[in-house]
Amino acid sequence: MTRTSVWPQVEPLLTRVERPSRYLDREWGARHRDDASYRAVLVYPDTYEIGQANQALQILYAILNEIDDVGAERAYVPWIDMSAEMRAEGIPLFALESAAPIRDFDLVGFTLPYEMTYTNILEALDLAGIPLRAAERGDSDPLVIAGGPCAFNPEPVAAFFDAVVIGEADEAIVDFVRTHRAAIAAGLDRNATLVELAQVAGVYVPSLYDVCRDADGGFAGVSAEDPAPAVVVKRVVSDLGEQRPSSCPVVPFMDVVHDRLAMEVLRGCTRGCRFCQAGMIYRPVRERSADEVVREVMAGLACTGYDEVSLTSLSSTDHSQIEEILRRLKRRLSEGGVSVSLPSLRVDSFGVDMARLVAAGKKSGLTFAPEAGTQRLRDVINKNVTEEDLLTTVRRAFEAGWRRVKLYLMIGLPTETDDDVRGIGDLVQAVLGEARSATPADARGSVRVAVSVSTFVPKAHTPFQWEPQIPLDEVVRRQELLRSVVPRKGVDLSWHDAEVSFLEGAFARGGRELADVIEAAWRGGARFDAWTEQFDPRRWLGAFESCGVDPAAIASRMRTLGEPLPWGHISSGVSQAYLSRERERALTGTPTPDCSFDGCTGCDVCGDLGVTVLLGGDRRA
Amino acid sequence: MRDFRLRVCYRKAGRLRFLSHLEVVHALERAVRRAKLPYSVTKGFSPHMKIAFGPALPVGTAGEREYVDVFLSGYTEPEEALHRLVKASPEDLAPVEARYVAEREPALAAAATIAYYEVRIEGEGLTEQEVRSALERVVARGELSVEHKGKTKVFDLPHSLPKEPCVRSSSGGIVVELVVRMGQQGSLRPDALLTAAFDPATRPGVVATTTRRDTLIESDEGVWSRPL
Repeated sequence: MTRTSVWPQVEPLLTRVERPSRYLDREWGARHRDDASYRAVLVYPDTYEIGQANQALQILYAILNEIDDVGAERAYVPWIDMSAEMRAEGIPLFALESAAPIRDFDLVGFTLPYEMTYTNILEALDLAGIPLRAAERGDSDPLVIAGGPCAFNPEPVAAFFDAVVIGEADEAIVDFVRTHRAAIAAGLDRNATLVELAQVAGVYVPSLYDVCRDADGGFAGVSAEDPAPAVVVKRVVSDLGEQRPSSCPVVPFMDVVHDRLAMEVLRGCTRGCRFCQAGMIYRPVRERSADEVVREVMAGLACTGYDEVSLTSLSSTDHSQIEEILRRLKRRLSEGGVSVSLPSLRVDSFGVDMARLVAAGKKSGLTFAPEAGTQRLRDVINKNVTEEDLLTTVRRAFEAGWRRVKLYLMIGLPTETDDDVRGIGDLVQAVLGEARSATPADARGSVRVAVSVSTFVPKAHTPFQWEPQIPLDEVVRRQELLRSVVPRKGVDLSWHDAEVSFLEGAFARGGRELADVIEAAWRGGARFDAWTEQFDPRRWLGAFESCGVDPAAIASRMRTLGEPLPWGHISSGVSQAYLSRERERALTGTPTPDCSFDGCTGCDVCGDLGVTVLLGGDRRA
Repeated sequence: MRDFRLRVCYRKAGRLRFLSHLEVVHALERAVRRAKLPYSVTKGFSPHMKIAFGPALPVGTAGEREYVDVFLSGYTEPEEALHRLVKASPEDLAPVEARYVAEREPALAAAATIAYYEVRIEGEGLTEQEVRSALERVVARGELSVEHKGKTKVFDLPHSLPKEPCVRSSSGGIVVELVVRMGQQGSLRPDALLTAAFDPATRPGVVATTTRRDTLIESDEGVWSRPL
């Protein structure tokens, strides 16, 4: 296929748009493999500054560019000013490295980081001149695929993709590309190619699955056409150390979110919080060894020139060797003004000790997630943190010199009552009191507690996947109740927008009927919905109405345990038996321990997927 | 302990002319770290690299000889330092010269006040003479007020333009060479001057590209010299 650079047409536009560095390429670490015969482009469905640091895409970019004769590039959704200029000039969406139109690539791969980016997928495809629906694409169009966390319920966007990779793509993408290249070499047409790809482990080809209806026309599950598997089981790598290529990540010019070296220290979290989808779909826990982490941090800092490294994962302070890692890094980085950061902390004094190790002089603020305001509700969600744990941790942090903490909490969790909501107020009051009493009198004025409250959205593949989300008016009522009970002085209270949570809820557990809604919303002007100033709920409500879909019936309906679920043909490896057992334990307030500290709790991931918990040493309770 | 003050001249070229000054600052700091130069670090709670930049270039303006002082805690041969920096930099934002300068030399940002610009203008049928006359007319006003980001700045043109602009034809366009005296209160942008020079109704020419060829230090005696 011929690929021509559109750069000569793009360059004159850059004097007229905001932040032209979004579109420049030429960053340190960008790979130019224009001579490769197989070309892939990885697309993040938002702007450059939001997507550039996405670790999954950085890893896949490196892996694909290591394959002989394969070149991978990057694309992001141009901001509204740029897309208007591009449409006016007839310039299609292009990949950064070659500035070639993405429609001329062999493979276009989207990550699905968040439900509210769905309209941006259509914006990107439309700007690229690629038919929006897989069914409308022909042999001259690229394969358009997706992966990422939202792929675990792919149904709302299934119509837009030729294939979806379920789970970790580190190895799956290599298998996918190998199969696709073989199909190209064999001269297979689009449908025959997709049949081949459907047989690659972890690959879901939506067009080979049909929705079944019961006698009343209700959803009755999804059935696979031969030879596609009835259930697509997620891919998971057994050892992270074997996966990562040694090439240097792309270092942006622009001031992007997470503008630092990100080093993944472990994958998975088995604390078992029952609301948490990440804790279910990324099992099991696999740690990288301290030696490997330290070695790669040093190599990564040297090749990127960053002055900060973040040790990323779902729970980095749970790493069995985290103290050793931090001490060794601190020793090696003591000169040169390079800092280490941890994304979130466990709620105990060990968490504060680890924060002290990396804080050096600056103590900007610590973040903790008690999630719920009462012990009863924390037992329901299996958040094994007591109020005493939290207060001791806060005391220790303020005694050590911190003056700000941030607390993550939720409203709308299953079984929540007004007492639980009022409990949040009591908890915040207690934290504030503890923080003040641990602070010298002359510094108490600077004590701040930030409280961030989101609305619980039940997610697929979790013990709460059958639960109703609280309705919109109830969210508003509980938010008002909360506002009346949370102390004002010294507290910064913030909310997640109730209407956004409601839409997230519909997309989190909806089925294929939502594709029409997403397309209607996009045609009505919706895009960049994750940007508060761009989001307009009226566009969405209009779209739902015009498509005859009731979002409340998806988000706020109680499901029965046996009913077919739209994501029933997608498996995270965690068995439905485990999920329903965990739901039972939730309703009786029974905690379940973490298998990376104690014994196996029977989620069935390890046996069924041929992987196991991989630790560098004993974890510290 | 005293630092070694390495003055580096670099270019901002090609598509990287669209970087903002802050983006250039971050990119060069990262290049210094990648080059493993023994850079000095400030003291205090939030230590950072000791580095001092010359006058900022706007987004979209290229620079052939831009300057930055990097303070090193240990001596590295300038050729070696330059070589390492070049290897650690993208081609369009690469150092071209490096040499040590005395610590008593004034800071680049304050001292480098004379800028040589080359502005390429495009316009259907536009002649050298038309551009020359347009410039003469605007310069003859003596003063120019420019609105930028909601603020109005008034420039004293004889002071801001210490040399007469030079206009010449170049392949496919017209090039204006301007010398601008920059000030602490803001500097006259060449594109602002040329936009003011052209009749807004007919717009006979537009600025295609602007390049700062060099920045010079003006001494108290009025003598101009290169920072390197």
